[in-house]
Amino acid sequence: MSKTIDQAPPNPREMLIIAAGLTLVCLVAAMILGGLYFVTQPAKEHNLQMREQAMIRGLLGLSPQAKILEVRRYLRSTGTEGRDLQVIYLTARKLVSMDLNGKELGLHAVPDEVASSTSSELKNEWVFKQIKTSDPEQIKYAGRFFVGVEGTQPAGYVVEGVTAGYKNWIRFFMAIDSAYGIKGVEIIEHEEDPGLGAEITQRYFKNQFAGRSLEDIEKITVTKDPLPADWLTALETLGDMPFQPWLEKYREMLPKNPNIHAITGSTISSAAVTNGIKRALGNFRKRMSLVEKYL
Amino acid sequence: MSESRPPPPISTMLMRGLFEENPVFRLALSLCPAVAVTTSLKNGLMLGVAVLIVQVLSSMSGSLVKHIINPKIRIPVFTIIIAIWVSAMDMILAAYYASVYQEVGLYVKLIVAFAIIISRMELFSMKHNVVPCFWDGLGMGLGFLAAMVLTGSFRELMGSGSIFGIAVVPFKPLLLVVLPAGGFFTIGLIMALFNWVDIKRGHKLPTSGGGAHG
Repeated sequence: MSKTIDQAPPNPREMLIIAAGLTLVCLVAAMILGGLYFVTQPAKEHNLQMREQAMIRGLLGLSPQAKILEVRRYLRSTGTEGRDLQVIYLTARKLVSMDLNGKELGLHAVPDEVASSTSSELKNEWVFKQIKTSDPEQIKYAGRFFVGVEGTQPAGYVVEGVTAGYKNWIRFFMAIDSAYGIKGVEIIEHEEDPGLGAEITQRYFKNQFAGRSLEDIEKITVTKDPLPADWLTALETLGDMPFQPWLEKYREMLPKNPNIHAITGSTISSAAVTNGIKRALGNFRKRMSLVEKYL
Repeated sequence: MSESRPPPPISTMLMRGLFEENPVFRLALSLCPAVAVTTSLKNGLMLGVAVLIVQVLSSMSGSLVKHIINPKIRIPVFTIIIAIWVSAMDMILAAYYASVYQEVGLYVKLIVAFAIIISRMELFSMKHNVVPCFWDGLGMGLGFLAAMVLTGSFRELMGSGSIFGIAVVPFKPLLLVVLPAGGFFTIGLIMALFNWVDIKRGHKLPTSGGGAHG
């Protein structure tokens, strides 16, 4: 420091003034930031939603007329033990609660204004009201997926998944066809290091999952081998090219590259995404078999 | 300690940040985030611009509040000022400039922990008025930006064989350079170049980091 300050131990009165001063500064800062949060949050959420919708359309290759239906999943614990767990699904038509084996416990019809709403808050509130729990802590939102509907036919699913990244959660979308094969992966939110873990958003990493079947994904591991140049070229073209023609063109390259090539210097982030996708796909298959008839 | 001194001329304040007291190459501050981010020119440029903006705003606000804060708590107060600017930038970009935020969102969050910003507030904003603080902040911010661009382009060219993501040479000359260790090598080499130029120009080397231990 260029100046020395008086280092004698402060007396109680001075300490009190310092503490009060710091508290005041923190309060002012909290008020500024709180106010700003209040003003900017709705716009931020709106942006995020628009981006999500655009991503789902892109991943599934939907036409502009196609509809995107949301399916939300809630968990409700009716007792103190984990075994008294109920799973609640909110689809576009039904609100269904079931036990862990899929036995139906309750069924409600969903009004249009809830089904067509894009506000997750409104949907949560409506679900909580229908379930009539005395204790709001009992029921928790536990994830969601989307169904792309082209005309009247489902054109594919997009599952939202989370996985523990290097420092914080990584949130991703995974597009799935009716045979539980992966059509594409997008990273929505992450806080990995720029230049290292943040490379998970790059085509050469995320596109490595596209075109894999359920069995491929179950066996998949992360390898530190360098990415072969021809595979890299193929991965970089998905996105400029829609998924189906891309798969036709490069189908024979998938068995030659059965594993996910880790990002240089970011094995943890690479493994986090790979494991997250593995887990999310397995869970989705189980859940889909339970909820399919209510869609 | 908060009396305003006559500020140095604007050109001195600007050039000081760029050369004599370059935050990265002369003061060796904020090396950790600098090394982590500068794996490519684009990354370096984004972080540099974000730091430049926060540096100018924080220096100026530090100068505005210098008379009303107790000198004993100035460091936490400076940290809070920086945190306010960084969080405010983060929220405003996320809400109203979504496309920009997608590109720079990650870098903005890193800045709270930047030693250069707090060291400039401590060394300069505490003693000068708002206008000189603007120029000083601008100079330091530009110095950091220049350092990031220089390091980023060197590392991207050597490590990935490209500039701005466009391939310049069809192979990767030296992969080590994009790894964290390579970042320190790169900064060390450029630092040596700065010192060499300094000696050639007949300047004496400062004994320890240019006098600022932020």
